[in-house]
Amino acid sequence: MKTEPMAGKIWRAAWQSVAMVVLAFAIGLLANESRSDRLALVADWSPAARLSTDTGDSMVVSLDEAKRLCLDEKAVFLDARSPEDFARGHIQCAKNVPWQGFETYMDRVWGVIPEDAWIVTYCDGETCSLSEDLAKELDSMGYKKVKVLLNGWTRWVEAGLPVERGDEGRRIAGKDTDGSSS
Amino acid sequence: MAEGQTNFFRRQWKQDGVLALTARLILGAVFIYASLDKIAHPEAFAKDVYNYQILPDALISLTAMGLPWLELVIGIFLLIGLFREGSVSIVTLLLIVFFGAMVFNLARGLDIHCGCFHTSAQGTDGAPMAWYVFRDGLFLIPALYLFYRTFHRENGFRGSGFKVGGREAKQHQIPGN
Repeated sequence: MKTEPMAGKIWRAAWQSVAMVVLAFAIGLLANESRSDRLALVADWSPAARLSTDTGDSMVVSLDEAKRLCLDEKAVFLDARSPEDFARGHIQCAKNVPWQGFETYMDRVWGVIPEDAWIVTYCDGETCSLSEDLAKELDSMGYKKVKVLLNGWTRWVEAGLPVERGDEGRRIAGKDTDGSSS
Repeated sequence: MAEGQTNFFRRQWKQDGVLALTARLILGAVFIYASLDKIAHPEAFAKDVYNYQILPDALISLTAMGLPWLELVIGIFLLIGLFREGSVSIVTLLLIVFFGAMVFNLARGLDIHCGCFHTSAQGTDGAPMAWYVFRDGLFLIPALYLFYRTFHRENGFRGSGFKVGGREAKQHQIPGN
C-alpha cells in the first residue's frame, strides 16, 4: 500500500486543527487571566469607547467644539504625526509633538504648556492611534483637559478650516492642503 | 524508545526534501516571530483587529487573546514537523484569511495599520496596505506548496513520519469508525 487514503489525511487535518485551535485559545485565555491589564472577554473597541478617562468622561472632541477651541485660541492643538506630515500641512493652531519619539519632543509640552490648559491632539486617518496614545500619555503626566479629535487632519481639511504649512520653525499660512504639494 | 524518536526526527529532516523543509522552516519562523509582539501587547492588537472592521465587536477580544497564541502554536508545530496536516491546513487558512481581510480593506479604501508583526507601528509609518497584501501573498507561496505536498500528492510527504509501522494502521482505523 503505497498511497494513503485522502480521507485519513483530511480526518487528521481536522482533529489536529481543532486540537491546536483549542490549545491556543485555552493558553490565550489563561495568559490573559494572568495579566494585570487583562482584556474583558467582550469589550467595545471603538475609539469613542476606549477613549475615556478614569472618571468616565470621554476624551473625544467634536469637530465643532475643536473648531471653536482653535479659533478662539482656547486650546493648544498637538499634531501627533511625523514632522514630515506636519510640514506638509497642519491645523493652524497646532504644534508638532510626534508620538513616535515622544521623549525627544516632550520639552515642547512639559514646562511649556500649563497643566490646566485645554489640549487637543490629532493625527490622520480613521484608525490612526497616535493622537490617542499621545492624549493618554499627557493624561498620565497630569494634564487633565486633554481631548482627541478623531481623524482630525482629514476632517479639518474637509471642513475647510484654517491650515498652515511648514515645520515648527517656519510656518506658511494658507489653504493649501495635502496632495497638491508634492 | 529514544532511538525511535531520534529516527523519527532524522526522517523528518532527511525525507521531506529541501523545498518542503525550507517552506516549513520559513513559515514556522515567520509565524512564531509574528506572534511574539502581539502576545506581549494584546490591547494594541485588539485595536488592530477592531480597525480591520470585519469582526463583530463580541469576537474582537477573544481573537486578540487567542490568535497570537494560535500563530505561536502553529509556528512551533511547523518547525518541529508534528501534526503536519493540521498545521499546514491552519497556516494556509490563516494566510488566506489575512490576505482576504487586507484585500477587502484595500478595495474599500481603508488604509489601516496591518498589525501583522508589530502592534506599535502606526498607520502613518509609510507602508501602504498594498505592500502588506504583497508580502502576505509571498508567504502564501510556501504555504500553498506545503498544502499541495501534504494533500494533493498521492504519497503525501515521502516517508512521512506517520507512515511508520503500526502507527499508520492505527491512524487509518480512525476514519472508518
